Amino acid sequence: MLFALAWRNIWRQPRRTALSLISIVLASAITIFLLALQQGSYSAMKENVLSLLDGFAQVQPEGYADDPSLRKAIDEPDALAARLETLEAVTAAAPRALTYVILSNGPRSYGSAVIGVDPSIETKVSTLDASIKEGRYLKPGDDGVTVIGAGLARNLKLKVGDELTMLGAARDGSVAADIVTVVGVFATGAPEIDRQVIETPISRFQSIFAMEGEANMIAVKGRRLADIQNALPELRTIAEEEGLVLRNWTELEPALHDVIMLDASFSVLLYVSLVVVVVFIILNTLLMSVLERTREFGMLMAIGMRPSEIGAMVWLELLFLAGIGAGLGIAFGAGITAWVEGRGLVFSGAEALFSQWNMPSTLYPDLNWTTALAGPLAIACSIGLAGLVPYARVRRLEPVSAMRAA
Amino acid sequence: MSVIVECQGVAKKYRQGQIDVPALRGLDLALEEGDFASLAGPSGSGKTTLLNILGGLDRPSEGEVRVDGVAITSLGNNALADLRLRKIGFIFQAYNLIPVLSAAENVEFILQLMKTPHKERRARAVEMLKAVALEGLEKRRPSQLSGGQQQRVAVARALASRPAIVLADEPTANLDTKTAEDLITLMSDLNKSSGVTFLMATHDQRVIARTRRHIVITDGRVSSDERRDGAAA
Repeated sequence: MLFALAWRNIWRQPRRTALSLISIVLASAITIFLLALQQGSYSAMKENVLSLLDGFAQVQPEGYADDPSLRKAIDEPDALAARLETLEAVTAAAPRALTYVILSNGPRSYGSAVIGVDPSIETKVSTLDASIKEGRYLKPGDDGVTVIGAGLARNLKLKVGDELTMLGAARDGSVAADIVTVVGVFATGAPEIDRQVIETPISRFQSIFAMEGEANMIAVKGRRLADIQNALPELRTIAEEEGLVLRNWTELEPALHDVIMLDASFSVLLYVSLVVVVVFIILNTLLMSVLERTREFGMLMAIGMRPSEIGAMVWLELLFLAGIGAGLGIAFGAGITAWVEGRGLVFSGAEALFSQWNMPSTLYPDLNWTTALAGPLAIACSIGLAGLVPYARVRRLEPVSAMRAA
Repeated sequence: MSVIVECQGVAKKYRQGQIDVPALRGLDLALEEGDFASLAGPSGSGKTTLLNILGGLDRPSEGEVRVDGVAITSLGNNALADLRLRKIGFIFQAYNLIPVLSAAENVEFILQLMKTPHKERRARAVEMLKAVALEGLEKRRPSQLSGGQQQRVAVARALASRPAIVLADEPTANLDTKTAEDLITLMSDLNKSSGVTFLMATHDQRVIARTRRHIVITDGRVSSDERRDGAAA
């Protein structure tokens, strides 16, 4: 009957209860939508940045990240890539070789990274081909050609069709030199790539740099970053069986990870503020209700109800409010978010801003169990905890003074 | 007859600013099983204070109070709440029913606090409401009942736990003459049939005339204690 009493008590002032519920529902719905949009934008940001060049994960020789030497190589990269592609989460695995060279065009010379890629696979892992602004991307069968970043092309005064001299050290320590023809210029919008990267077919790379069928890494891609994140244990097992290491996205793009964490930290402040405001609204309402019913509580004590039982009843009223509000909030918030998730949220006029992160101007909220439940549960739990205040107040009541209350 | 309630040297002082105001001054009183007693006295004489102390709602500054053999002055808050639940029934001037519960549920509520099994408490609630002539009104909420009917529910609630004593504070003050008469008759009948002790603080001469014992308090002490066997006709 305590449940029945608490339930009926919250409907004694239907308008007040409705207002309290509306504030919980709105706050829950807002947190669901904002959290889902935030997660969606983070996912878009991560997937777009990683898709540009890194891939969603990479298999590398041990210590390669700290000392990217040609000598740290994978012996049979094609076989390993094929093995990685047997995993359901993996849509493509592309072997790559990488070294650093001096690029020259006439009197101009610049340092650059040169990446040897297999054009037939690389386009399944990287979206660099979509960033070609002049000419074309590499294609299977290409030899002695390169695509170059727009910044580097500008610095070296190169255009499509020009020849470029490449000078570096081969794996065996000998001098490696080559002349390649520029077939395409890419502009990703990421200065560190556009000013410092060229790509050339891996077969030519292996020949010039004495790699003999070897690669320095295998970039792995899946349909969604989350798929690869979920498959990390299997990927790690394969890598370790080959004496290699697996690097996940946070290791490949630590700066992006830090930016996201920083943004998430600031947004926590927003969510906490929202929760605090809602909790104070509900607490204020309940304290008002407790004050109004002090005489009644005195009567309940007189007929034998313990103060702790009355406190529990008041707490139960709060939990009912929090539960109903959070439940309705989840239904409402998840409904709206799912609707937007299906259509996308277009940020008209923000294309230039978003392109800095290689992001589309249409974002899709990511509605999942976490984004749907985290906010409403935090609100409901905070309200439940705030119930300690009226509970403590009721427990301190003395029957006679309570019955004399106005 | 055994003594149900016994007060010895009960004093109560209230603090008002820097001054102690005495409400009771060494009051002695014993109520026996089956007493149907009225408690009268001028305003401020200590009637309500005495009822509060006898009911375990307030603690005396001095003296000893025993209810059904239990010395209540040394009990903790929870033990006092249990004593009120099991040994004492209260009837208030303003009925003080729980507004969101029906008549039957108001009666049942006491029994639920006593952890009486569901079927038994439902049957007892119906039985008590029948005893106060509210058969058929079990599902009505207090707001759907007249003042007299609400006070009858309060009487049923007070008796539901089979208490040692029922304490009533001005039970007829809010009722019209006819309803008040009916209520007094009802309480008198229940006193006779169940043997439960009644103590009613009242100014109502109709109530006083129907009780078999009349106690008067003046300045915090019993100034008159008159037994009138046969008064409650």
